[in-house]
Amino acid sequence: MPGQDKPKFVYVTFIRTTPEKLWSALTNPDFTRRYWFGMHHETDWKPGSSWRLLFADGQVADAGEIVEADPPKLLVIKWRNEFKPELKSEGYSRCAIEIEPVDGAVKLTITHVMDRDESKFIEAVSGGWPRILSNLKSLLETGDVVLKGRHLPGDHDER
Amino acid sequence: MSKAKFVYVIYIHTTAEKVWNALIDPEMTRDYWGLARNRSEWTPGSVWRHEDYEDAERLLVTGSVLESNRPRRLVLTWAHPDDAGDAAKTSRVSFDIDPFMDSVRLAVTHEELEPDSAMLHGISAGWPAVLSSMKTLLETGAARPMTQRRWGCDAQPRGV
Repeated sequence: MPGQDKPKFVYVTFIRTTPEKLWSALTNPDFTRRYWFGMHHETDWKPGSSWRLLFADGQVADAGEIVEADPPKLLVIKWRNEFKPELKSEGYSRCAIEIEPVDGAVKLTITHVMDRDESKFIEAVSGGWPRILSNLKSLLETGDVVLKGRHLPGDHDER
Repeated sequence: MSKAKFVYVIYIHTTAEKVWNALIDPEMTRDYWGLARNRSEWTPGSVWRHEDYEDAERLLVTGSVLESNRPRRLVLTWAHPDDAGDAAKTSRVSFDIDPFMDSVRLAVTHEELEPDSAMLHGISAGWPAVLSSMKTLLETGAARPMTQRRWGCDAQPRGV
């Protein structure tokens, strides 16, 4: 069926925390830097507001707009790469971040979609999200991340 | 009809050997894999059984060991017991366990799945829950409550 084959990355993880704490972990810049390899978001998290993801050195990695924000349940971001021309030229992707309480924990679902037939951008984020979310889960559950350091090997290439 | 594939990557603050042990140790799978255990000699060609921890007669998934390279790579065939021996309904799961930045990258690749099958939907829901809980168990010493009990027949995935 047309539409079903659009490049898409879906990742589900279960984290021992509350929806409110997870929402805060996703949106607070200082906390984000700890698990997102020194990067942070720059936005007021209101629908229609601009959104940017910045490297530790201030370079803009990605940019776009907040499409939906329903704390502590849903965030939708219009998301474009800004630092690699071949990815930027693919245009805007859509990233939905869903938070659901489940059995004393929280189910976090990331659905990142590009409305094109093929997407190098989705390939790139498919490598990045598991690292970021593994780090986030460890940080919330144990107080420390699993992958330490500001930049991963190949960081600027893959995410 | 082309077959479907499900891939899940997770980074765990532990060693490759401990991830391997977690896959085959009944006391650990009981807690992070829905009150189940995996039984096999873990040598290529041997049978493996994913069965209820408390009732070994209750077989949930079965197959054979295709590759066993402790502690880095384990490849299994995977079928519901009713479908055992039916090549069309037998899928394949690879566990790739790689050291990465003082931790471990675990990649589970489940392929040769029938598109739109109950098994595909089941494992797509199941692996994230099982592997999230395995990570929590290895990093904190306690698995998540959701995976410490027997999974029901309703919303819970068939197979995983």
